[in-house]
Amino acid sequence: MISLLQQHSIVASRHAQAYTRPEKPCMYRTRRRGAVARAVVTENIEKSSKIIGSSTAPFPILVNGCTGKMGRSVAESIISSGLTLVPVSFSGKEKPGGNITIGDVDVTIHGSKERETVLSSVINQFPDVMVVDYMVPDAVNANAELYCKLGLPFVMGTTGGDRELLYKTVKSSDVYAVISPQMGKQVVAFLAAMDIMAKQFPGAFSGYHLEVLESHQASKLDASGTAKSVVSSFQKLGVSYDMRRIRKIRDTTKQLQMVGVPEEYLGSHAFHFYCLTSPDDSVSFEFQHNVCGHKMYAEGTVDAAIFLYKKVQQKANKRLYDMIDVLREGNMR
Amino acid sequence: MLSLTLSGNCSLLPRPNNRRCALFFARTKRTTLVTSALTRETVAISQDAMADSRSLSFPILVNGVTGKMGKAVAEAAVSAGLQLVPVSFSSLDKPARTLEISNIEISVHGPSEREEILSSVTEKYPDVVLVDYTVPNAVNANAELYCKFGVPFVMGTTGGDRPLLYKTVQDSNVYSVISPQMGKQVVAFLAAMEIMAEQFPGAFSGYKLEVMESHQATKLDTSGTAKAVIACFQKLGAIFDMNEIEMIRDPKEQIKMVGVPEEYLSGHAYHVYNLTSPDETVSFEFQHNVGGRSIYAEGSIDAAIFLHKKVQSKAEKKIYDMIDVLREGNMR
Repeated sequence: MISLLQQHSIVASRHAQAYTRPEKPCMYRTRRRGAVARAVVTENIEKSSKIIGSSTAPFPILVNGCTGKMGRSVAESIISSGLTLVPVSFSGKEKPGGNITIGDVDVTIHGSKERETVLSSVINQFPDVMVVDYMVPDAVNANAELYCKLGLPFVMGTTGGDRELLYKTVKSSDVYAVISPQMGKQVVAFLAAMDIMAKQFPGAFSGYHLEVLESHQASKLDASGTAKSVVSSFQKLGVSYDMRRIRKIRDTTKQLQMVGVPEEYLGSHAFHFYCLTSPDDSVSFEFQHNVCGHKMYAEGTVDAAIFLYKKVQQKANKRLYDMIDVLREGNMR
Repeated sequence: MLSLTLSGNCSLLPRPNNRRCALFFARTKRTTLVTSALTRETVAISQDAMADSRSLSFPILVNGVTGKMGKAVAEAAVSAGLQLVPVSFSSLDKPARTLEISNIEISVHGPSEREEILSSVTEKYPDVVLVDYTVPNAVNANAELYCKFGVPFVMGTTGGDRPLLYKTVQDSNVYSVISPQMGKQVVAFLAAMEIMAEQFPGAFSGYKLEVMESHQATKLDTSGTAKAVIACFQKLGAIFDMNEIEMIRDPKEQIKMVGVPEEYLSGHAYHVYNLTSPDETVSFEFQHNVGGRSIYAEGSIDAAIFLHKKVQSKAEKKIYDMIDVLREGNMR
């Protein structure tokens, strides 16, 4: 299936080809199929993921933060992967927030004050329940303490908070947890590959010239941490580069026309381009990773949850994991 | 160290084509002949100066200067400040030729004189390192010759009887770097993909892979490098059939669609791999594009410098490949 992204992608020609607008094929790209075909593909994927899901034991997961965009996305992925979504969640507000529907599940939203009581009764009803946390940075530590107090295995998707304290809390409690600021499993794999290359072959790209461009939704004010991580691998590979040279694109017109971000994802995307060129210009290496929306992180989170469930069932010695551990385990489904 | 700002300087030149306003990388159009000549000169001078100051210079003999790769390696050796031995060999019985490479006159000798010449070279230049870019048919005979005289060598020539080659070298205890792929950075990229596939099997399960490669029209077979990278992606769970590799061999398409500069049409290796998630919201793309021979020549020099180091340090290990060279770190 031709990628929706491909027809919008950038002409990254190091020999300065004329810019081609999305309708025309750019270097290495092929034409985009119609919207009908896309819909068919999406339907097929949903069907196949349900089939895949049935091979995993359908253990229960509670998503803390269903009302947020990430939380909702994860909840939807949980349902489509055939796992059981516990019909209970929490809001950041003290008073309960009613009900929301995710897929065909009616989820009751409780206020933050009721967390401990509600969670305790959830554990009674679903002894092997696991929590996926996508709340807010300010709530990270308090939530982690609560999960540890109740012995609830959890996947911490929320970034921020006091990370040192978070790890300390988990380590001193014996609870199983996956903690990863980056839930895009495949992006973590790419970052790890660059890191491994840099450690094994220091200076391999000495003298090479680097250009980096990243585009995120306009509300993201800071530069991409992922981009900085990749750049630092390239620096170990011998490339001389000042982080301040990373080009941040936040203007939506440029994002549409130059970067090729699909309009529906202007408010939520993460596009990255890196180009390494040899001193004499005869050799170039290019890497891109382009993410639209939240689905990737949601899917990665579900993989992390399935991984953690396995570890709990096996009564593994190790308790604290990250995305690299999840990756090393192989395909989850 | 090679000046890192050269490419950056070039990007300050006004770009010839104003229609390229949407180009987002401030990457250089390939520099004009004048500029590139200037930069080469600057590079050569700075490298010479550096080589002198670090006395990393040692004698290097290139077997096969009459060929394109041999010539490129010889020139790269001089640019790197190494001492090019003014002698080479040809398969013709009476070549009776001298060749000029970077202002050095190289005398080319036929097969009947090989032993005699090589023997006198090793006497005059005891720490010589030899780089071989000849032809597949000559690989094994040449290896035997080098081993007979104990000359450490970098085998750049592909083909021949490879198991026999390794056996010859192992039996003789001679130092050598043997690698069919001398593009050091391409080897690094391929190795990184292999490590990723080994560490994280199935990470890209369900992802669709698309591959396109372009080489000079005379290359009839599919890129071996592409197949190696694809094998990694398959291990990572990507869906792909080797028959689906798109091979571009038509020069017009290569110029217009792929963007190969005209001067490299007769010698280039462009590869692009595109991975897309099942729901199409995520895509990864990797490209490695090589024009001409420079990367292989530079990689060969790195291999020669590496080998010289190993010989000097009387290392235990004798047979090396490009991964070993990479692991050693920056050579210059």
